[in-house]
Amino acid sequence: MAGTTPSTVTSGRRRDRWSEALAGYAMISVPMLLFLVLQIFTVFYAVYISLWKWNVRSGPVDFKGLGNYQTAFGDPIFQRAVQNSIYYAVIWVPLTMAIGLFLAIIVNQKIRGQTFFRGAYYFPAIASSAAITILWIFIVSPDGLFNSLRAVLPFDPLGTIFGYGPHKNWIGDQDTALNSVIILNAWTTSGTFMLFYLASLQSISGQVYEAAAIDGANAWQTFTKITFPLLRPGHFFVATVAVIGALQLFDQAAIAGGPGGDPNNALMTVVLYLYNAAFSQFNFGYAAAVGVILFVFIFGVTLIQRRIFGSAPSW
Amino acid sequence: MRPRLLTLLVVIVFVAACSSSSSPAPSAGGSVAPASVAPAGSAEASGSPGASAAAGGDLSSISGTAVLSGWRSSPEEGEALTQTLLGFPPLYPNVQVDYQPIAGDYRTVMITKISSHEVPDLFYVNADYAPEWIEQGFLEPLDDYIAKAGIDTSQFFPGYLDIFKGKDGKIYGLPKDGNTIALAYASGLVSAAPKTMDELVTTAKGLKDNKDIKAPMCLNPGLDRGLAFIYAQGGSLLNADKTASAIETDASKAAVQWYLDLFKDGLAQTPAQLGAGWCGEALGTKKVAMIFEGGWLDPAMTGTYPDVKYAWAEMPVGSSGKPVTIAFTVSYSIGADSKNKDQATVLLSYLAGKDGMTKWTEGGVALPSRKDVPTPAGKDVLTKGSEYALPGSGFMPGYVDVQKAFQDAFTAQIQGKTFDAGPVVTATKAAIDNALTQ
Repeated sequence: MAGTTPSTVTSGRRRDRWSEALAGYAMISVPMLLFLVLQIFTVFYAVYISLWKWNVRSGPVDFKGLGNYQTAFGDPIFQRAVQNSIYYAVIWVPLTMAIGLFLAIIVNQKIRGQTFFRGAYYFPAIASSAAITILWIFIVSPDGLFNSLRAVLPFDPLGTIFGYGPHKNWIGDQDTALNSVIILNAWTTSGTFMLFYLASLQSISGQVYEAAAIDGANAWQTFTKITFPLLRPGHFFVATVAVIGALQLFDQAAIAGGPGGDPNNALMTVVLYLYNAAFSQFNFGYAAAVGVILFVFIFGVTLIQRRIFGSAPSW
Repeated sequence: MRPRLLTLLVVIVFVAACSSSSSPAPSAGGSVAPASVAPAGSAEASGSPGASAAAGGDLSSISGTAVLSGWRSSPEEGEALTQTLLGFPPLYPNVQVDYQPIAGDYRTVMITKISSHEVPDLFYVNADYAPEWIEQGFLEPLDDYIAKAGIDTSQFFPGYLDIFKGKDGKIYGLPKDGNTIALAYASGLVSAAPKTMDELVTTAKGLKDNKDIKAPMCLNPGLDRGLAFIYAQGGSLLNADKTASAIETDASKAAVQWYLDLFKDGLAQTPAQLGAGWCGEALGTKKVAMIFEGGWLDPAMTGTYPDVKYAWAEMPVGSSGKPVTIAFTVSYSIGADSKNKDQATVLLSYLAGKDGMTKWTEGGVALPSRKDVPTPAGKDVLTKGSEYALPGSGFMPGYVDVQKAFQDAFTAQIQGKTFDAGPVVTATKAAIDNALTQ
């Protein structure tokens, strides 16, 4: 019967809803607490540390205010680190997004061995970055695989057009080291971006393609006018994640160039600079200041990206 | 009913998770490759807490456990240390050694331990960062412990021991061993080892056209080897009382230019140019005929390149006229927060004493830092260097920045093919001035 329900039933339902809500809050409480402590609190603590000359054993020693920040901005090595990180982001992000998109479109086709190719392209992303970097150093060393291939090919564009010698040490030379790392990371991370784009691609309805085929669109037109624009949620996500990751480059730079970013700061990135300040110079207040600068920078860039791409459409 | 049970379950899990104590796992920063200089590792013993009453000189009354920590640069080193530690229990049966080596980036892992106040009892401190660790209060002053244990410090080579003295004059570590830089040459390619720097250049020039090797010598573009050459040619980084820079003097600048000219004239190449990880690998893979390394070369060569025949010769004498080389050392130190300092002192007295060090250096990884320890077999040349070696690190705070400034500028000169010592000296002087004012 419609209308009033007995009061016992109503209060029982209210109790159930309250228990459910409590269960919900209890379940998110642990991850939320971890998030607050490990992610949010550490940012504020880092800001606090950055205001001091900090001894890792005994804590704050001298109050420096913004002194650490001034030192950072005035240090030519830090400026080089920022320059390297920005150069890396500007070159690597579009390159890897393009490769990832290309791979995603390929493996989205109904071809034989589709699953194998997906796994193969993704494999470098799950392999140890240290192992892959060392492998790469061997490949691009003066007598490595790459130079051997160049010697065998009939036409060597790198030698004739750019003038690189036959035994060029690609990762040991200050002019080519960062580009070597860019190519290395474009190869290893393209698999991850391929997966992101694949998810976006598969959310595009097949009816759109059918309609395009009826209207007589060829493959290139289909791609540029239909697929690419419809992938805007994918672009936004991949670009944001890529830029955040690019500005935090550390692993490959540390393995290939050592903690000093050899040769001659060619591989010095902001995070490597921070690592140096903390563990080579034992200057933790300064390292915290560099970390806060990086945080603000990445935060700002992400906000700008959100502006440009707009909020992702939800189809 | 069920939501309530669910809530209860979640709350139980939450409480259980929060109450379980998990000690923070040290992050093994394995992504940083070890530096080409592999210092001789020595096991440090740390003691576990126990009743210890250290009566003057009577160490047998102390009991407990000592936690020893350090790095292990090669399996041979681990083996040598194990053998050394076997000699400890018969002498001091009341103290147990708990050896916990640190894998990966030792410095980083130790920093995390120091910051959490959970340090081993006895551990290695590389001369490279000993001044900083002493100044920042990470290490315990050992003078009282040394006196109580009756350790005789007069037998240590002063060049090694002085590195581990703080500005207050107190001793913060005892050198566990040392290593000097000397010339290692391929016996098949070099018939007579050069005795002077001029002879070295002549020998190298003679090897320049040899098709079997890529370059006559392998040299590091940094002060970790360059400093020995600068000293040999009459230059210096600091003035006599270490208060100001001396790299910009004419003698020093000429020395840097001389070292740079070795690369300019094609007599030497860097490991990177040769495609090797370090010069030892360059010698082992027969890319060069002469390198300058320390005692760590021997286990690496016998282990990885057993077919390559090489021999040692003392560092050639340069225009300064005096034999000189540089030495690297590591200390055993007790942490300011170590829990078992007395037990650590017992182990320290063995490992840094004559018996322990004799056993350790027999392993062939490092040289003695004491005069009364016999020279290990095959290490005559390197040990001779200990008599006249100057410290290769640890003689000034902030040396890592000075090294970086020198190496960056030096590498730029090589890669830019300009080979001008001027910018190198300018950059190094700026770094030295900056480090001295900290």
